Amino acid sequence: MSTDLIVDPQIRSWVFLPIVVITFLVGILRHYASILLSSQKKVELQQLADSQLIIRARVLRENCSYIPKNSFLMRKQAFNKEDGYLLQKRPPVTQNMMTDPSMMTDMLKGNITNVLPMIVIGGWINWMFSGFITTKVPFPLTLRFKSMLQRGIELSHLDASWVSSASWYFLNVFGLRSIYALVLGENNAADQSRQMQEQMQMTGAASGMPADPKIPFKAEWEALEIVEHHFKLPDVEKEILDG
Amino acid sequence: MSKRKAEDHVAYSEAAIRNNLSIVEYCRTSVSAISGCTAGILGLTGLYGALFFVFAVTSFWFMLLFNAGIDSWKKYFISRKSLLLNGVFGHFFTYILCWTFIYGMVHVY
Amino acid sequence: MANLKRKLERLRSIRENNERASREVVEIWESVISKNLENLGKEKYVVLEQICIAALDCFKLGIAEQCIRELYDEFPNSTRVRILESMLYEADENYKSALQILNDIIKQDVNNSSARKRKVAIYKSLGKNAEAIKELTDYLKIFAADVECWQELSEMYINEHDYNKAAFCVEELILHNPHNHLLYQRYADVKYTQGGLENIELARTYYYQAFLLNPRNMRALYGIYLASTAIVNNTKNLSLKKKETTNKIIDWCLKEIKDKYTKKSTSDLEEKLAALEI
Repeated sequence: MSTDLIVDPQIRSWVFLPIVVITFLVGILRHYASILLSSQKKVELQQLADSQLIIRARVLRENCSYIPKNSFLMRKQAFNKEDGYLLQKRPPVTQNMMTDPSMMTDMLKGNITNVLPMIVIGGWINWMFSGFITTKVPFPLTLRFKSMLQRGIELSHLDASWVSSASWYFLNVFGLRSIYALVLGENNAADQSRQMQEQMQMTGAASGMPADPKIPFKAEWEALEIVEHHFKLPDVEKEILDG
Repeated sequence: MSKRKAEDHVAYSEAAIRNNLSIVEYCRTSVSAISGCTAGILGLTGLYGALFFVFAVTSFWFMLLFNAGIDSWKKYFISRKSLLLNGVFGHFFTYILCWTFIYGMVHVY
Repeated sequence: MANLKRKLERLRSIRENNERASREVVEIWESVISKNLENLGKEKYVVLEQICIAALDCFKLGIAEQCIRELYDEFPNSTRVRILESMLYEADENYKSALQILNDIIKQDVNNSSARKRKVAIYKSLGKNAEAIKELTDYLKIFAADVECWQELSEMYINEHDYNKAAFCVEELILHNPHNHLLYQRYADVKYTQGGLENIELARTYYYQAFLLNPRNMRALYGIYLASTAIVNNTKNLSLKKKETTNKIIDWCLKEIKDKYTKKSTSDLEEKLAALEI
């Protein structure tokens, strides 16, 4: 071990370890908080029917070769004709996010469990544990990583594999994902990084709500339009009698 | 788990396959975490650590195949390769985290 | 305690496999669970629900009522428990109260599918087939991908002898699950019953497919035989060649059937169940 720096062992017990424990426990806490705060999403009847219709159209497209030709054509007609299932006029979705109070509370709750702890804990850790070198990664790294791993320490001669406390915190935030999966099971809410990604998408396209069913409907309509029907079964007679 | 449909088609029960895969995923995460800790305690550095990860994952793969039966693994999984390679980067990240953590605890100070 | 654990395990396996072992479940309740209600742990309420339904199945209304009371204590506003209550009324043939509860639930929560399904069941047990069908079609307009319901609807149409619509429903089932031989057999049955040369030929094709998917499906084999015979007998100007092949098929079927019976005459139960392989 050719350590060029000697780090005070106190840092281990008062900085290095606490950061891991805090991030881990905060993750667990977030999981339970979000369970506590989650409200059951009320699904609109129309939305439900739409999604089921899409499923039906999809299975028709995929497995149409198992039903006789006129049955297929009949279904295709029902889905794809002028005012068929997929092209029917529907009231435009005028649901504005800002006017719908339930959406607002949902967003608020999301912010409370996602963004707030992120800011508060991150800021707190930055303030409390700033400026420490906490650990060294056991593999050599190029200088590029310096800015990533040594946030808060501006020492140009320090080897790139040393990690500062703030960076160690961020490494933990992003790296504990699979550990949460072990402890809390799949699909837990503890994972900040995943939620962050969702947040990004949220701001892009008005949240998880399928804003306009017309788009998937249109896609399905096109796909169904080009499906060619080959009845698969007439060959089975030969297959059996020969085989 | 699986049944023979015709001579050359094998139909899989999708729910069962998914269940199997999620269990395997669970085990793989555990393996990468545990092997990360081991590497940290052993004080492996640099390339040795990476090699240790490869070793751990492949030996886990062999154990899995052995447990499922050398000939009968086909009953439980669709592909052997995906069993080895699925999400290997995610696991590598877990491995690195554990490795760094334990290495830091034991050897740096 | 070990006994309790074993019984709970058994209940779990019944739940997971969707078995209808109602009598056994009720027996388990009487022998073990009723005395150990507090020791069930986190499974308690699932088990209570299961026992409640099983008790209704065996017409042990007292047990069901006890379970429902227990559940109401814990979840006073749950629609799931209210559905159980309506089922209790239903078992007691008090259909009016049952319907009222269900209508209330639907009014509260328009997309509660189990309440809607119970309503269909009630109409069915009242013998109002037309209304049951109407209710079910309304349901399918919303939940268009509910396979169970398409199956139920197909059976109802068969009971009403409306084979065209029944065939449509079975087609829908095949689309959703193209590897199930029983569905092909059912479709062929419907088509064969409809009659007419075209339909019978189609029926034969589907019997073939059912037979191909599961070579132990005797009914499909019989179906091929019957359909082929019908084709030979009912068509006047069948070309000679076609007639010949059809006759060949008939012979092949008969041989196959005989073979199977001589071979499998001492078959055990497992073998018989394998024929149903889904």
